[in-house]
Amino acid sequence: MRFSIPRFWREKPGHYFLRGTRCKACGRINYPPSKICRYCGSRDTEEVDLLEPGRVVTWTVIYSAPEGFEEYKPIIIAMVELINSKARILTQLTDIDPSEIKEGMIVEPVLRRINEDGETGIIHYAIKFRPVIGGISDKQE
Amino acid sequence: MDPEEKTGIIGWGAYIPIYRLPLTEMVRIWGFASETPKTLNVIEKSVAGRDEDAVTMGWEAARNALLRAGINPKDIGAVWFGTESKPYAVKPSATIIAEALGITPSTMATDLEFACRAAGEAIRISIGAVASGLIKYSLVIGSDTAQANPGDILEFTASSAATALIIGPANEAAAVFEASYTYVTDTPDFWRRDHSPYPLHGEAFTGAPAYFHHIENAVKGLLEKTGFSINDFDYAIFHQPNGTFPLRVAKKLGIPKEKVLPGLVTPYIGNSYNSSALIGLAKVLDQAKPGQRILLAPFGSGAGSDAFSIVVTDKIEEKKDKAPKVDDYLKRKKVIDYGLYSKFRRLIKRI
Repeated sequence: MRFSIPRFWREKPGHYFLRGTRCKACGRINYPPSKICRYCGSRDTEEVDLLEPGRVVTWTVIYSAPEGFEEYKPIIIAMVELINSKARILTQLTDIDPSEIKEGMIVEPVLRRINEDGETGIIHYAIKFRPVIGGISDKQE
Repeated sequence: MDPEEKTGIIGWGAYIPIYRLPLTEMVRIWGFASETPKTLNVIEKSVAGRDEDAVTMGWEAARNALLRAGINPKDIGAVWFGTESKPYAVKPSATIIAEALGITPSTMATDLEFACRAAGEAIRISIGAVASGLIKYSLVIGSDTAQANPGDILEFTASSAATALIIGPANEAAAVFEASYTYVTDTPDFWRRDHSPYPLHGEAFTGAPAYFHHIENAVKGLLEKTGFSINDFDYAIFHQPNGTFPLRVAKKLGIPKEKVLPGLVTPYIGNSYNSSALIGLAKVLDQAKPGQRILLAPFGSGAGSDAFSIVVTDKIEEKKDKAPKVDDYLKRKKVIDYGLYSKFRRLIKRI
């Protein structure tokens, strides 16, 4: 077992729902979630799921991937600013070649495999982002 | 009132991966006759990417169905996942999707297997469970990353896609069920043994004794049960293992091809197994008008077929644009070669 099963089980809300926290004092989103707001220090926070489209702010491409991720190369890590909540998150982009990415392009969340523990171990699923389909998300702006 | 009449389709959703492999690639790599794709009436097949499987595709189809249904996911009382390519031999796919869509924990969830028609049977189980009042809504998913032995004729069409239906009370439905009928026998047309990575097929059995016999008898059973004639239907959707069989079975049943073509998706994406007939239904629901009657007949090897009579209601118009349509996914595509397909579908052995 190369990957910790308890860790991925614990992190399911983040992987499946992009669960963060909203600060009731200053209104800002903390992602990853934090019970104490990173921006104003308030402890008055609530959980919020961030499954919404966003815009690509910047990105980088990993060509030398760690063990367990080799077959997913090239791995694109992007900073995406979510359209409604304005939260900025780090996420993987999928269904796109690095040469096709443009700053400001609209992307939407989808569930994908992020890695698997060899041929026999647990498969880990998590949200990635891909170019939006069908213009649905444009209407949400 | 029959159980079917108490139930209907509250939401529907489809998913097709972005990658397409032209069938000319199988001709080039494996030395088939160049007219083979034409005889199958299929141009390209959809291929799941390296980070996709039956679970991820089923999740997206189900998300689209939920968008159209507009219901609280917690109100779903059953998730039935029809597939023959589940990522785990033991560990349910249905629970992964149920959890990732916020449906858990108060729900039934299980994976069903009957070659290409497990999701068809899931619809009939849903009708029973909803009509009896056991649950309010069920989520039926047909999703497959179909396997084929490299170089086998099946490789031309074995593709990847998913379709999901949310089934609930008739008074909330975009399309209501009128009747259903199932016809099964023990037929050796197609199988995959435990630990075998690819299925095998009994050549002479795949056509007449399997596909045609079961679909024809399921449809005839439905007509006898309802008293309908074949002319009462505006659309006919059959399991689509290739682009010719659905047109041939329609001809045998006396259905003009104009009623089959609106739901015929296989020429553009291949045979997506448990999603094959259902994605045809999704494409028809994307365009159907209130009052139109749909004949749906999935088929699965081994073998069996279900036949459903479905009538579209006026609620369909408000749901159509709430999620991407089948045509949106058909238009979105990247053509790949056999090399990338081999990587995506894990045909290359690494150590």
